[in-house]
Amino acid sequence: MIEVNGLTKRFDSFTALDEAAVTVPAGSVYGLVGPNGAGKSTLIRHLTGIYRQDAGTVRIGGEDVWENDALKARVGVIPDDWYYFSQSTIRDMCRFYRGFYPSFSMERYEKLKEVFGIDEKRAIRRLSKGMQKQAAFWLVLSCMPDYLILDEPVDGLDPVMRRQVWSLVMGDVSQRGTTVLVSSHNLRELEDVCDHVGIMDRGKVLLERSLAQLQDNMVKLQVVFQDGVTEVPPELPALHASKIGRIHTLIMRMNAQEAAERLAAYNPLLVDAVPLTLEEIFIYELGGADYAVKDIVL
Amino acid sequence: MRSKTLYFNKTLFLKDLSRFWPLWGGASFIGALFPLAMLSKLLRYGGYAGFSAGAPLEMTKLYYEVLQAAVPVVCLLYGLLCAMAVWNYLYNARSAGLMHTLPIRREGLFVTSFLAGAAMLLIPFAVTGTLCVLTSAAFGLFEPVGLLVTILGVLGESFFYFSSATLAAFITGNAFAMPALYLLLHFLEAILDLLLSNFARGFIFGFSTDYTGLLEFLSPTVYLYGNVMTNAEYRQITNSAGEYVRNELVSVRMENLWIIAVYALAGAALLAFAFALYRRRQSERAGDVVAVGWMRPFFRYGVAALAALLGGQLIYSMFWYDDYFKMAPLAVCMVLAGAIGYYGASMLLAKTLRVFRGSWKGLALVAAGIAVVCGALKMDVFGAAGRVPEISQIQRAELNVDNNSYTFYPGEEDELLEQVRAVHAAIAADRDYILNLERADLPSLADEEAPWTHTTFSLTYITTSGQKVRRVYYVPLTRERLSQSGTYDYLLDRLVNSQEMRLKRIHANGDGYEPTGGSIYLNSRDEGYDLSDREAAAILEALARDAVAGRWGQVNWLDTREETRGTAYAMSLSLSFRQSLDQNKFRHDWIDISVRPEMTAVTACLMELGLVTSADLVTYAEMYPEEYGGESSRVRTPPAEAVWPETVSESVVVMGTVG
Repeated sequence: MIEVNGLTKRFDSFTALDEAAVTVPAGSVYGLVGPNGAGKSTLIRHLTGIYRQDAGTVRIGGEDVWENDALKARVGVIPDDWYYFSQSTIRDMCRFYRGFYPSFSMERYEKLKEVFGIDEKRAIRRLSKGMQKQAAFWLVLSCMPDYLILDEPVDGLDPVMRRQVWSLVMGDVSQRGTTVLVSSHNLRELEDVCDHVGIMDRGKVLLERSLAQLQDNMVKLQVVFQDGVTEVPPELPALHASKIGRIHTLIMRMNAQEAAERLAAYNPLLVDAVPLTLEEIFIYELGGADYAVKDIVL
Repeated sequence: MRSKTLYFNKTLFLKDLSRFWPLWGGASFIGALFPLAMLSKLLRYGGYAGFSAGAPLEMTKLYYEVLQAAVPVVCLLYGLLCAMAVWNYLYNARSAGLMHTLPIRREGLFVTSFLAGAAMLLIPFAVTGTLCVLTSAAFGLFEPVGLLVTILGVLGESFFYFSSATLAAFITGNAFAMPALYLLLHFLEAILDLLLSNFARGFIFGFSTDYTGLLEFLSPTVYLYGNVMTNAEYRQITNSAGEYVRNELVSVRMENLWIIAVYALAGAALLAFAFALYRRRQSERAGDVVAVGWMRPFFRYGVAALAALLGGQLIYSMFWYDDYFKMAPLAVCMVLAGAIGYYGASMLLAKTLRVFRGSWKGLALVAAGIAVVCGALKMDVFGAAGRVPEISQIQRAELNVDNNSYTFYPGEEDELLEQVRAVHAAIAADRDYILNLERADLPSLADEEAPWTHTTFSLTYITTSGQKVRRVYYVPLTRERLSQSGTYDYLLDRLVNSQEMRLKRIHANGDGYEPTGGSIYLNSRDEGYDLSDREAAAILEALARDAVAGRWGQVNWLDTREETRGTAYAMSLSLSFRQSLDQNKFRHDWIDISVRPEMTAVTACLMELGLVTSADLVTYAEMYPEEYGGESSRVRTPPAEAVWPETVSESVVVMGTVG
């Protein structure tokens, strides 16, 4: 379990994190989303032991992260801009990682070599950005981490490789119970893999929920009313309503059963529940708040 | 599960070494050239290669000379490169991120990187040393004690320099700022000493512009050069006929080796400080010029002060040329330069050019500081201009006046020392008179009728606390005041022309100096001759007789005519002296004597010694009438009867430290 409470970090007069709080259940995949400059990377640098907090606690598995070498040996990190020694090959970096991570598995390294298909003897600086990202996954997954912390991890990867990488990560989650925290400024990226989501803006975590909670609390219905009813009845508490032909699309803050019961009073010709995207959930969860939600989902 | 690393990580250590092998490999190659060159010379020339065959002390002397002259500079510069290599990860957010994400504590990173850097620093020394030892052993020049001392010296200096570079690396977060900061810290004391001395000279009457070296130990390279030195003693080997064969090294030792040990201890303290900074270091400071928060104001105002001091004086000197500063223009120049330094430092700290808003308070503080310092010096609040140490405070006083040097010790020459102090006090009291006379456009001294002249009065007190108080005055002397009791002109004339001072000038007052030889050059023959100590002693005795009789040593301040020189014999006589201090330490002195016809005792002595004949006793005016306005000239005929005695050499020559 990853727990961050009251985390505050200031850079001179700028407050980058303002009492941020995050809870990532063990074995879950947690998506941390927010616009650029929201504080995601800063929070992640606290989780990986790079930054020391001004206030608050940063714990993984119940232990403080700062200067905790034993804990960090169980945490795999892929930052948004992965660093490698300028003359190094992937093989060199493999030796380097192996010298630090006791659980580094050469067996897995060899298996992943087949998956990624990159020449391990090529200088990393000569690889494309996407291949460098793959190399980072290759090495970090070979460390067999119990916790994976990923900052914009699939930027630069092609769609096929994105699917491949997520497949590897999800495999670790299901087989080894790895806990994953992944940050992104793009909700669509995370909606297929995350089971928990937190949204950050201006240094604060505005909201965090499980996907199930979110989906239970909101419903999207396609409705066709009786002849003569051209507008959505004003008594219905719709967060959003749109119409194409005779089909009205309604989003309401309630579960599907309650929504169906409310609509039954109008004898609709058709009521059909359709899945909400994460994008829609966040837009309408935070729609009333004064936040630039559009920046998150664009 | 424990991580694989606590305080040392072999992977990181080897990674550092492998990443930067061109650095230590290149240094090792350059270092190896020296023993290889030595080997080559030994193979080709044997004992003539600068070493006496079978004389291991020669090798020890070589080691010591390298330790004295080369190792401080090599450690200073190469230590910097090694530190830049191993600590470079601190200066980039990405690399700092990787290193601090690894399962290793800051202690582990610090210890491992330090050891890697130290290894990179020492490998070239080890390669060079090993080759030297092998070469010397092959030629019977191996000497273990000297080798051990050298190894310890190299280790001590390497440790100190690398520790100081490590500290500099942790103060800054910028790869370009690190070497600048390191070199500045190593020479800041010397730079400030020179700047402050020059600054004070512009305010304090008589203040010397010399480098004081009061805190020179804070400039380690300068201090090591000046204090850790090789002391070698040679014996002259002669054959059965007493003829010189060669000099043989009989002992060699390193003076003040303890200084290296002290610096090594200081290095340990710097290292501990660097580690403390690392523990508190914020990784996000990567790229910042100053990475330590509480040091940022020191940097901002330190740069402003340095800029004001250096830039202010430079700007001032472009517009004004006075010996002493004009307060208002100097303050303006300093505020201008200080503002440039202040905003420059602010821009570096903030990493933006937009630092002007709300900065007036800091700038006002800089301006106020400049005003306070200038005002304090102008008003001489410390009383430096008029300070004349009491005799009880003086360890010794060194006077230089009329191109002659004198040293006075309290308890031995209290009366003379009092006279010296009285002259000093009188000059200091007459500051306004002297400065006003300087400002007046007096006629050129080429006018022989001018009733005044100038002389330099240079006085250095070494106080009992070891402090050096140095004053140099360029003072006018007038005919009127020379005869006016109580004026500095009168007091100076009375001092310099006293019999005691005349005898002191030639060390004929029992001050411990012994004549060690000298030289005489006769214009009449165009030939010179080195005097033996016996000849020098005889001449000195005669000179003392002339001095007591008033035939030599009288300084006539106002007589600047060329004709006066023309009345001296056309010869150059120089005597050298030596005073024994501690074992193998000496103080040397010499004097040039202008021999005149009235110096009957010296003239007779020179003739008695066979150094001159009556044919050589010709004055400059007689020899060069065209230069001195005369009409006749004696023909320059070298006397055939003159016989130069053979040189008598000493059996033992000691090359000691000049104190």
